[in-house]
Amino acid sequence: MINTPFLTLIYREVLRFIVLYKQTIMPGIISSGLYLVIFGHALGSRIGSINNIDYIHFIIPGLTMMAVINQSYANSSSSIMQAKYLKFIEDYLVAPVSGFELSMSFIIGAIFRGVINGILIILTCWMLTDFNVHNYSLSLFFLIITSCVFGAIGVIIGIISKSWDQVGVFGTFVFMPLSMLGGVFWSVDMLPKGWQFITILNPLYWMINGLRYSMIGISEIPIMFSIIISIIFAIIFTIIASVMFSRGYRIKS
Amino acid sequence: MDSMIQINNLKKTYSNGFNALKGININIEKGKFFGLLGPNGAGKTTTIGILTGLVNLTSGNVLIDGYDVIKDYKITRRMIGLSPQEINLDVFFTIKELLTFQGGYFGLSLSESKKRVEKLLYDLGLEDKVNAKARELSGGMKRRVQIAKALVHDPELIILDEPTAGVDIELRHLLWNSLKEMNIKQNKTLLLTTHYIEEAEALCDEVAIIDDGKIIAQGSPKELIKADGESYINITVNKINENILSDYNIDINENIIKITSKNPEKDIPNIINILSESNIAVRNLNVKTASLEDVFLKLTGKNIIDD
Repeated sequence: MINTPFLTLIYREVLRFIVLYKQTIMPGIISSGLYLVIFGHALGSRIGSINNIDYIHFIIPGLTMMAVINQSYANSSSSIMQAKYLKFIEDYLVAPVSGFELSMSFIIGAIFRGVINGILIILTCWMLTDFNVHNYSLSLFFLIITSCVFGAIGVIIGIISKSWDQVGVFGTFVFMPLSMLGGVFWSVDMLPKGWQFITILNPLYWMINGLRYSMIGISEIPIMFSIIISIIFAIIFTIIASVMFSRGYRIKS
Repeated sequence: MDSMIQINNLKKTYSNGFNALKGININIEKGKFFGLLGPNGAGKTTTIGILTGLVNLTSGNVLIDGYDVIKDYKITRRMIGLSPQEINLDVFFTIKELLTFQGGYFGLSLSESKKRVEKLLYDLGLEDKVNAKARELSGGMKRRVQIAKALVHDPELIILDEPTAGVDIELRHLLWNSLKEMNIKQNKTLLLTTHYIEEAEALCDEVAIIDDGKIIAQGSPKELIKADGESYINITVNKINENILSDYNIDINENIIKITSKNPEKDIPNIINILSESNIAVRNLNVKTASLEDVFLKLTGKNIIDD
């Protein structure tokens, strides 16, 4: 049987960011293009290569991942915040759907936005440099699983936050440092030993490495670890988001 | 007759310790137009919230057409159309799109939902606003869309929380007519909360008065007025004789006698007889018949509108 309520919720989520493409799709492509030009072309020639890969190619997966993380998180967190702020979240809560279906509809919306952004950024990089994707299906897997993790985190933060500030604070003070320290622009070998240990504890490091392997064929860590750790994070955060919706934490009284 | 809503010993305590519902019981039969009246904070919106899934109950249970609102929520929620008190329209989409999604959330295919929406918008006089977004609409139009949201999936039970709050008289009567029509012609069950007691009197077959989390009276407006309502008969006379109407509850002010009566139709002829037998001429007579508002005031000690 087709689950029309669930499919409609997903359809609305996807259509929402497509309608707002100037805010949801264009900025990621433009900022990634700028990073590529400045860090890749202008500074990259002075850095040389990392693990025998040109610096400009080395940073493409990191840039892609940074955009995917930001966009998927922004999609679900802002969608929930707006629905809470304007109270139309009540339309979802009275619909005949489970907490799991509700959270999945926001997460799937975030996955679509993350993956579309990721693919368009990869295409932009492909046009600006001479790189080819090493493994397409594994790249798609990492785009999906990362969007899922951060879409779910967006749901959680969207539910918890009482103001837009709180949503923004999380992006600035948690995601930005984690993605910068997760190896977007450099290899973990380039860091002092103490920082290397801290980096390994950063979940983003594993995802960025996973995508880096899928896109350019090099990895500092076994790819299986990246896959398993990413899946575990996706499951954990999806469960937390679903439980919050089911129990109505901060959204039902 | 089958029950559409059965509320059994329903209690709700909020996390701050406030007891919003202290064990209420309500039974609403199918096809009834039921009004839930009460001052602000009495528990009306909490009750509706529990029925629809917006509020978690503390204890007791609620059945919709025999199905439990918690265990069988997917069945019960499809049966309900809710129009919340506060306007809550999705701002990203046009009126037609947001109503079409609304139908989809309740199981209509998008093509089916579109057809229903077109008809509804026409019925509600919004056909030229289909491509407008919520913020482009006037208050009255937003209210109509808000009610349309409750009706898109053609639910058996329509729940309206203060549907005519802030609506002009013309639109209020238009909405009354269409709600009444849904009740009579389509045999829908309607549950309404309202601040306008006149609205409850005009529309409802049965009302319950809720105050401080408890149901303090329930019945048809006529029954409640009969049981607790008091009419006032004001008679202007040419002279006063305080002893002649001693059987009645009277209040004399100069040459106006104010008589409190539970049954003015029966009392007026008797009073006229008594006065004419005593050669007292009646110069003017007017009756303020008991209303549900008086009953409300008497039972709750509160004026519903001031609250």
